[in-house]
Amino acid sequence: METKFTRREWLGVAGSAAMLAGCSKSVPMVPSTVSIVRAPAYDQRIYETMRRMLADHRVDVRGRTVVLKPNLVEFEPQSSINTHPILVHAAWEAFQAMGASSVRIGEGPGHRRNTLDLADAAGYFKIVPRFEDLFVDLNLDDVTRIRPSRQFSRLEKLYLPNTALGADLLVSMPKMKTHHWTGATLAMKNLFGVVPSGVYGWPKNPLHWAGIEECIADLHAAFPRQFAIVDGIVGMEGDGPIQGVPKPVGVLVAGHDPVAVDATCCRIMQIDPYKIGYLRLASGEANSHMLDQNIRQTGENIADVATPFVLPGTVAGVGLRRS
Amino acid sequence: MSPDSSGLIDTLLSNQNPDGGWPYCSLRASGSPNASRSPNASSGTTAKLLADARGSVGSHDCEEPRKNRPQAGEAGETACPTSENADFPPAVKGVVFRQSTQGRSWTEPTAYAALALLAAGETGAARKGLEWIRSAERPDGGWPPQIGIDESTWVTAVVALLPPEELGPAVHARAIAWLLATYGKESSFDYRLRQWLLGNSRPADQQFPGWPWVPGAAAWVGPTSLAILALEKESRRKPSPEIQKRIECGRRFLLARTCGEGGWNHGSSRAAGYESRPYPETTGMALAALRGVAGPKVDRALAVARGFLDACRSADALNWLRLGLLTHGRLPESFCPPPRLAYRTLPEASLALLVDGGQRGREFFWG
Repeated sequence: METKFTRREWLGVAGSAAMLAGCSKSVPMVPSTVSIVRAPAYDQRIYETMRRMLADHRVDVRGRTVVLKPNLVEFEPQSSINTHPILVHAAWEAFQAMGASSVRIGEGPGHRRNTLDLADAAGYFKIVPRFEDLFVDLNLDDVTRIRPSRQFSRLEKLYLPNTALGADLLVSMPKMKTHHWTGATLAMKNLFGVVPSGVYGWPKNPLHWAGIEECIADLHAAFPRQFAIVDGIVGMEGDGPIQGVPKPVGVLVAGHDPVAVDATCCRIMQIDPYKIGYLRLASGEANSHMLDQNIRQTGENIADVATPFVLPGTVAGVGLRRS
Repeated sequence: MSPDSSGLIDTLLSNQNPDGGWPYCSLRASGSPNASRSPNASSGTTAKLLADARGSVGSHDCEEPRKNRPQAGEAGETACPTSENADFPPAVKGVVFRQSTQGRSWTEPTAYAALALLAAGETGAARKGLEWIRSAERPDGGWPPQIGIDESTWVTAVVALLPPEELGPAVHARAIAWLLATYGKESSFDYRLRQWLLGNSRPADQQFPGWPWVPGAAAWVGPTSLAILALEKESRRKPSPEIQKRIECGRRFLLARTCGEGGWNHGSSRAAGYESRPYPETTGMALAALRGVAGPKVDRALAVARGFLDACRSADALNWLRLGLLTHGRLPESFCPPPRLAYRTLPEASLALLVDGGQRGREFFWG
């Protein structure tokens, strides 16, 4: 791999120069809508909640292909490690009802090779009818080499699965979790799961060497047609994303702009979104996608649902906590 | 042993791509033995058989979306089909697995399928696969995961498991040379120099070089185990001090990374300050790579593997557990994978055949 300055390093230099010049201004943009919807449990009410939430966002998928990307990590169905299958099934039904030409489910776990066994253990076969017909193992899907439109990491190219690249809408459906390296893992970090392990290995270690936060920003740029639905019904705090403990929050957070959705989730978790490296990289000039005035909040107020997530020991001392 | 070797062979034969290679596939049952070689056993047939078998599943279309909804918390009682309650078990005698959409050929499934079919005497299909593999070789003597990907990776170790007389001695020698020249990045001179300049001491688990999934990244248990298997096989055929040295270093790499409770995770014994838990598949792989090695760490890993064996319902994990235990003479003679075990990919089907052969005393992995 060639060594050169990353986008992040250039941004750091540019940012320092800007600070020295004393210029710091926000950039006006059309506000993106982020909804926070109460969802107290994984039960039948999810279906109606999901349908209404997507209708409120006016997601137009008529005649279009949709790929739902949950977060599947480990064989622990009783833990809060994986996106709950009933949520994915509710989204599948809602997008079908909204006229999508096809709705598929795709995931490429980073630790375990036996993806379908993992999905089985996580309850997907039991909850999602015809799951095997709907599911694509993104680790083993055919790939296309792309160069992200905006490049932040040292990776000069990325091989990505055709199922995800070809989708008219990629729906990131992560769990609301803390992360021992990045602070929080939400809609944007969830896109690590589209990187094919068949090419990069288990785990997708070349991305770690190229910079986790930078690669997350690369992936965000590689998929311009996204929607995000974060499973915050029961999240994970402490030593996430694997060895943490369940954290009931009772919300779903959704929107078209993954940066705005993730920033909102951070605020709910009482984490400062400006301290999350990949959010800073992807949030545009002067962090415009994260600014309060550029996010049109619907549903619940952040203050009404916010609850502090215990941070992993690895990042607890770096000032992530939002006052 | 697997309940149906002939079904697994049929699975491999019926999923070979026209170019001679094999895709990974997401496999599913597609019919009876009679239907298995029928040209009509298409994905349409698959869909019908699935629908017939699943009876009352329903359409789940937009008009009646709630009809068959499962209730959360009672997943085991739902009417929805599962790999456990469907009318057809995924792996029963004579049932062939067919993918619903044809994927492109990949190196790993092609190498395993060729190895398994050579062992089964299906030389025609195997040799077509070997031709595909020869055509996929890169100028550096390694193999990409798929033709069109411009980097040689860990799959070179799987290619190197193929018999040189079938693959071609010169081609095979280049695969071995590529493996010998490949290290995890943490063992590279520039990385170590940088760490030294930064004042970082060398962690105990980085004393010995292993193999990465992709050059330029760190070494991991999976690719290190596969590389050792390939080099061990080569060493038996053509002993060399260089090969022996890498095998020994690779084994030390593995022994330095056992989990606290025994067995192996995919990487380190600790991650981000916490103990890593062992995985069945990597525990089996590492045990296979530690053939002939004894000691307390191996004993503890064997105990962990034996515990996994009884509870495991993953074909991939069971393949490696069986092989790992078999390598150390600790697989119960009567052990047979559960009859309803689902083989999800072609490498799983191929490995099951190879491990079956191993249980019958044939040593495809060690020459």
